[in-house]
Amino acid sequence: MVVSLLLALPLAVGLWLLTGGRALPAGLARRVTAGTAGLTLVLAGATVALGASVDRAWLPELGVRWSFGVDGISAPLVLLTGGIGLLVALHAWVELPAGGSPATFLGCLLVVEAGALATFTARDAVLFLVAFEVVLVPMWVLVGRFGDAHDLRARTDAAQRFVLYTAVGSTTLLVGILLLVTSAGTADLRRLADAAGAGLGSGTQLAVALLLVLGLAVKVPVFPLHTWLPPAHTTAPTAGSVLLAAVLLKMGTYGLVRLPVSVVPDGFARMAPALAVAGAVGIVWGGLVCLVERDLKRLVAYSSVAHMGFVVLALASGSDTGLQAALYANIAHGVISALLFVVVGGLKQRWGSVDLAVRRPALRETSPRLGFVLLLGLAAGLGLPGLAGFWGELLAVYSAWAPAGDRPRAVFVVCAVVAAVGAALAAAYALRVAGLVWAGDRPDPEAPRTPDTTGVERWVLGVLAAGVMVLGVLPMLLLSTTADAVARIGGAR
Amino acid sequence: MSTLVTLDPLVLAPALAPALGVVLVLVGDALGPRRAGGRWALPVAAVVLVVGAVLAARGSFGAEAEPLRSLCLPAPDGACLWTAGPRTSSLQAGILLAAAAALALLHDGRPRPRDGAVTAALLLAATTGGVAVAAARDLGTWVVALELATVPVVALVALRGTRGAAHAGLSLLVTSLVSFALLVLGVALWLTATGDATFSSATVATAWEDPQRRAVLVLAVTVLVSGVGFKLSLVPFHAWTPQAYTGADLGTALYLAAASKLSALAALLAPVAAFAGAGLDAPAVVTVLAVPAVASLLLGTVVALRQDDPLRLLAWSTIAQAGWVLVPLTALDGAGMRASVAYVLVYAAATAVAFAALGRIGAGAGARTLEGHRGLLRRDPLAAGPLALALLVLAGLPPGVVGLVVKILALGPPVAAGVWPVTAAGILAVVVGIAVYLRWFAVLLGGPPDRPAPGEQAASADGPGTARRSGRSTTAVLVLGTAVLALTSALPHLLLGGLG
Repeated sequence: MVVSLLLALPLAVGLWLLTGGRALPAGLARRVTAGTAGLTLVLAGATVALGASVDRAWLPELGVRWSFGVDGISAPLVLLTGGIGLLVALHAWVELPAGGSPATFLGCLLVVEAGALATFTARDAVLFLVAFEVVLVPMWVLVGRFGDAHDLRARTDAAQRFVLYTAVGSTTLLVGILLLVTSAGTADLRRLADAAGAGLGSGTQLAVALLLVLGLAVKVPVFPLHTWLPPAHTTAPTAGSVLLAAVLLKMGTYGLVRLPVSVVPDGFARMAPALAVAGAVGIVWGGLVCLVERDLKRLVAYSSVAHMGFVVLALASGSDTGLQAALYANIAHGVISALLFVVVGGLKQRWGSVDLAVRRPALRETSPRLGFVLLLGLAAGLGLPGLAGFWGELLAVYSAWAPAGDRPRAVFVVCAVVAAVGAALAAAYALRVAGLVWAGDRPDPEAPRTPDTTGVERWVLGVLAAGVMVLGVLPMLLLSTTADAVARIGGAR
Repeated sequence: MSTLVTLDPLVLAPALAPALGVVLVLVGDALGPRRAGGRWALPVAAVVLVVGAVLAARGSFGAEAEPLRSLCLPAPDGACLWTAGPRTSSLQAGILLAAAAALALLHDGRPRPRDGAVTAALLLAATTGGVAVAAARDLGTWVVALELATVPVVALVALRGTRGAAHAGLSLLVTSLVSFALLVLGVALWLTATGDATFSSATVATAWEDPQRRAVLVLAVTVLVSGVGFKLSLVPFHAWTPQAYTGADLGTALYLAAASKLSALAALLAPVAAFAGAGLDAPAVVTVLAVPAVASLLLGTVVALRQDDPLRLLAWSTIAQAGWVLVPLTALDGAGMRASVAYVLVYAAATAVAFAALGRIGAGAGARTLEGHRGLLRRDPLAAGPLALALLVLAGLPPGVVGLVVKILALGPPVAAGVWPVTAAGILAVVVGIAVYLRWFAVLLGGPPDRPAPGEQAASADGPGTARRSGRSTTAVLVLGTAVLALTSALPHLLLGGLG
């Protein structure tokens, strides 16, 4: 009941805002959305606390049940989605992009949230896919309609690229799921995870793992399938960017944990080295691009590619530590990237563009609060101890250094070394940005002062900054939640 | 049981209703030729069709193993000329409702006074054929019913009287003649190979054992698929489709896009069911089905991507969707046939909504380009909202969940059977298809045009509403069609439950 309400509430209100309530004035639409998002967060908390679930017949012809519930792996993600959902709803007071009615914009945000929640709670492979697809159209509208209007052609291109890449991924995923479901005879993720691939031939396992990983890798995104992400981030409005980085990308990694890693472990093990290499290359590639990228938003997007590289590397290592690291880095990246995108979006709103080549006054002098939060986000992103990014990266590199027994150790050790180099690159580009924007290496005395953060924006940033610090200081908070579920996946294997 | 054939009028009602309707319309027209401008015939026909659909839906909730039968012969073992399981009944209901929707659009298209009764009679006759072919299990009835479903449509297309309509009618006529020749040849070959005048699994299985008869049987299937392929708009038999859609009345185009496709699939299912029932491993037959499926998927979606006329876009989308209908059949099993029927029903509903939306917008008057639809969602939400939903269903994207569900269903059987080329083409077609429909969707959603489109200029000059030739019956089709799409999106079981 609680789960159904958790999914139905944002979906219903979102759809209503998109259809019946399109003409709602901005103020009312904002309040309705914020109220809905707040209630959704409460319901998310209740769902996790009560361990609520629902299980009904939905499509008996396909053997698909309307089955939603949470466990240790999905609970943090559900809470993260609820929290980010509320923050982006509140962010509408800071920035309400032009391009359509405010209700349409806010409705799209709510539908994306509902789709993400459904993805994280689905306990049926086919249902997971349907939920996975729900976010596609509203996100496309957010990017293509409400995105940066400076270059309309680039905006259309970014939106189309997002949709088509994701569609390729999800259709490949669909074929993988269908192959899995027809060969295993059930679509129930729990039963599939308990069987852990027993009864499937090794060829089938490999084919299923290949299709699933390929499909999900587009969403994560794993190098070299990441090319849709930077344009989408550069174009999307702040709220869209935050949802994209903090929630949508997590659907990809969550899918990797839920599907190939749990369901066809042997098939996944055989392609893990390739995935690890892709992850390591992504880390370095993202870092190198960040060293030279001029657009700050695009830079943060590439740093996302690098961070997701750590998650993928940890997943590929196959050990329980690796799985823990992946889940931790996943959540940490959600909070950090949300923080960075809110800051950078705010800067873009103030400056009109976030081209690093433009000389501007030092942020630490003109707007110390904004500057501090940017610095915090960058520090967390480079993996400074005591902040959220540290534990994920450390554990990821460690797990690659000591992978599960059935993985080729040499490959993973090399990947661990490369990942460590990538972490150093992260420090370099974080310092570059901090130097240019925060310290103001090339100040322009003529430029107007940047107004500091006030009102709602301050609260949004404050919450995210607190999240970054809490996750960094008290990692056990999260690690203990996921520990049981991780042990179960490890045990089944 | 007497020595005569048994006859159960209630079972035959789906075909009898439109047939009686034809008589009713023709008699009425003879008695009062000019009465009410001849337009009374259309509502009468629509009522008849809806009654027929309700009676057909009665059979949708039975079991596939115990179909409704009638016209059963006393000897040799009670073969029935009319066999309608739930799948067939649902298809029949779909055909009848699609025909009613076509009538509604024709009604708002305001046929000239004399044309009312003629239009209604032709449409009812074609529908009778389409419904009958779905239940026909013997070669003779099958061919005759299929022709009855086709020939009146040629006249309907040409009836509009414009130059374009005449060309379209001519190309459709030539196509139909070739198709008829192929079908007759195919039926003859089938009879030669199996020695049986019905589509039955037992004789197919026997014929398959003998290599020589097998070759003839494969040839028969090839020719039959080609013949039906014309009606289903499969590549390479698709060329008439864009021409007919743009040349004919909108209602006729809707009939061609929805009802004709439903009856064509119903016809194709008869030979396919014979093979599926025999449980044969028949790679040759799979190839015969897979080649046009892949060709239609790829060519249809890619060409649709380049279209700028909404009707032409829908025509090419029909071609692509016809490929989708064939995709699950390549598995040659019961699940595949059910998926195929589910797919074609959803496609027909979505297409009907799209055509009704075009009718409301007034595709005939002025704005015959996608650009003319810019910002329509704000200007006319009642037309653009349903159109947007229909496009999402056709693309298979939530919130058009039912479109996604039938795509999942359609890809399932070929994946299970390991028909990988078709699966790969399906993946490509999904992606390109999304680009096709989102392109239109984006225009609907788009901001106000930079400069007013030509059609809109006229509209703003004449005041609002004059450019639209909207009528109540088109709006009813829009509302009901949207309700069906929305309801089945929330509860797809409502649709799939009626397919056995």
